[in-house]
Amino acid sequence: MSAYMGKLLYINLSDKTSREMDLNPDLAKQFVGGKGFGAKILYDLLPPGCDPLSEQNILMFMPGPVTGTLAPAFRGCVVTKSPLTGTFADSYFGGHFAQEIRYCGYDGLIITGRAAEPSYLYISDGKVEFRTAAGIWGLDTFATVEAIRTDLGDDTVKTACIGPAGEKLVSFALINCEFNRHAGRAGTGAVMGSKNLKAVVLRGSKTVVPADPAGFAAAVDQAYRELVDDETINSFTVDGTAGSIDFANDEQLLPTHNYYNGQFEGASGLNAAAQRKHFWLRNVACAGCPIACGKVGLIKTGRHKLLVSDIVEYETASMVGSNLGISNVREVAYLVKKCDALGLDGMSAGGVAGFAIEAYQKGLITAEDTGGVELKFGDADAVNYLLEVIASRKGLGDLLARGVKAAAAELGGDAVAFAVHVKGLESPAWGPRSVPGMGLALATADRGGCHQRAFPILYECGGEWEGKPVDRLGTKGKGKIVAHLQNYLAALDTLVKCDFGQYGVKDVTYARLLETAVGEKYDVEKLMLLGERVWNQVRLFNLREGFTRADDTLPKRFTNEPLPEGPYAGARVSLEDLSLLLDEYYTARGWDLEGRPTAEKLNQLGLESLPKLINL
Amino acid sequence: MDYLRGEFDLCTGCGSCQLACSNRAAGGYSPRLARLRILSERENLVNRPVVCLQCENPFCLNSCPFEAISRVEETGFVLIDKEKCASCGNCITACPDKMIQFDVHHKADKCDLCEGDPLCVKYCVPGALKLVEKKGAEIK
Repeated sequence: MSAYMGKLLYINLSDKTSREMDLNPDLAKQFVGGKGFGAKILYDLLPPGCDPLSEQNILMFMPGPVTGTLAPAFRGCVVTKSPLTGTFADSYFGGHFAQEIRYCGYDGLIITGRAAEPSYLYISDGKVEFRTAAGIWGLDTFATVEAIRTDLGDDTVKTACIGPAGEKLVSFALINCEFNRHAGRAGTGAVMGSKNLKAVVLRGSKTVVPADPAGFAAAVDQAYRELVDDETINSFTVDGTAGSIDFANDEQLLPTHNYYNGQFEGASGLNAAAQRKHFWLRNVACAGCPIACGKVGLIKTGRHKLLVSDIVEYETASMVGSNLGISNVREVAYLVKKCDALGLDGMSAGGVAGFAIEAYQKGLITAEDTGGVELKFGDADAVNYLLEVIASRKGLGDLLARGVKAAAAELGGDAVAFAVHVKGLESPAWGPRSVPGMGLALATADRGGCHQRAFPILYECGGEWEGKPVDRLGTKGKGKIVAHLQNYLAALDTLVKCDFGQYGVKDVTYARLLETAVGEKYDVEKLMLLGERVWNQVRLFNLREGFTRADDTLPKRFTNEPLPEGPYAGARVSLEDLSLLLDEYYTARGWDLEGRPTAEKLNQLGLESLPKLINL
Repeated sequence: MDYLRGEFDLCTGCGSCQLACSNRAAGGYSPRLARLRILSERENLVNRPVVCLQCENPFCLNSCPFEAISRVEETGFVLIDKEKCASCGNCITACPDKMIQFDVHHKADKCDLCEGDPLCVKYCVPGALKLVEKKGAEIK
């Protein structure tokens, strides 16, 4: 017995077939689950250069071997090739969907092909149905969930669906995992839309049974204690991620006016206190999570009175709030909910809107392009207009729907100077100019501009590394820190951990949970090796797609334009600094200076001449 | 006598209660096999725990033709004798809160309050599940 369900479900939408494949024990041993499974399977199954929106691309929903148990706090990821970046993409989602995959009896769903007409999949305890989505195509994500529940006569099914943006192949469309939980980043929703797949719906009642139930139960209790006793975890329980607004503003990391600066005069309008005052009613959690960082409520006053809204997360409060100069959290809550409903990644949408507003200010976009709508910072109605035209791809929206990188290339002129992205993925809400380690983390994140693969800010802003204070503005030593954090988090992303849970749960406890779940010896060292193997496997995918050292870079706004004022005025991550950071990082990784893993490194990780671990 | 109470204002919908419960009831983690449910309402504005109240006038007990369900006098727990259960399903139909379902052996299965120390309460970090004391009317 082990916590693996022992099967992957393979679905081909083109010919409406599905089959259960036995989980290859070597895949389980070397890649564990989640990101690891996704990395190896994507590499094994996708031909190089595959068009992400073609029927060849595969869309995977991957839980980990601990997902669906009482262990706190675990979730799942969507893995595919991104239409926004062309890289490997893994996008993590909370809620209850990943757990239900396990209760359906699978360690992952692998979906390929393209349905002849709009469809949805209904998977219930071993049965796979290809159902028409004719009646729900075009509905927003909230209405889709409702319509499916009605259609199936069951309000307990778990749904992952796309909104109109995914149907229209918007490059940064998301997959909604009901409610307010999403595989948000890198355009997974567009891949789903390209497959004519409106939703995947699950109902399962199989049990997940750890290899060593008593040992596992003890590890669960240990993890609970570590969470309940941790100060950072407690702050997530009280304030959610909105608690980071004040921190980021104080540290000059908060994107403001398309990353012009890192401090926003209206930050107190967006923070946890403002959100609590204006709408929070109760804490909400994902499956099996005692942290409950969600805060759902009803907006009390104003033109969006009585709108149901979950917490406006730090990322969207920044990207759709401060980054667009909007300080009224009720307006931001409305806009973010609109993103969720339309199926747009709120982070990228905020980045794209900020870019569009600046392009308008600079005359690269004109009133003629917007049908007379004036684009300006601080104007929620202008942003609302942008979200609508992007999701429907009308007029200017068609250009913006391709993301800032493609839009800047088409607009030409100076646009590339203020298109804030890495590898095409709009940057997250952590401006790195005064934290070069974070800059390196963004430049080297496998899916493009992402803060979740390593978050050295915690060490750079007054923290210690190996017992020594970290020089915030310095570059030395940061390459090692970033490589270490990436490896550790990649390991936990095979389980699949929640980003916040790992602030409380200790490394030894994760190792203990994993070994008692799957019945294979794990310690922290082996966990780190697993993470490094997964990170290198993903690098091999991106290299095969043609990415090079030149792509491990930062947008011009961060390299060329110093912070204009504030405590870190003058700070930037120059290309020279970035080059030093990359050299140290590649060396720490055992890669050559072009960012390619050496044969020795691949051999050490067991990746050299590793055969395919999945065969169709 | 204690009974279980679930409070929607504190429930976060995490379902840890169901995971702990199912592991004991069914030998593995699976919320649909738990002996309590959590409803999601209004775009998940509300999560409502639904628990067995160990009713004083239990429809399940009253509807069982085989006297397989009984109340323990000292504790008030309403329990199913699986030996006597004939799997007729009357109790499942009778309970308006859907607190009874068939187990893997196709026998009626319900909350037994973990014999007095319920796991669901132990793992309910937000405190939405509580064991509370029953009190009756005291009009004089």
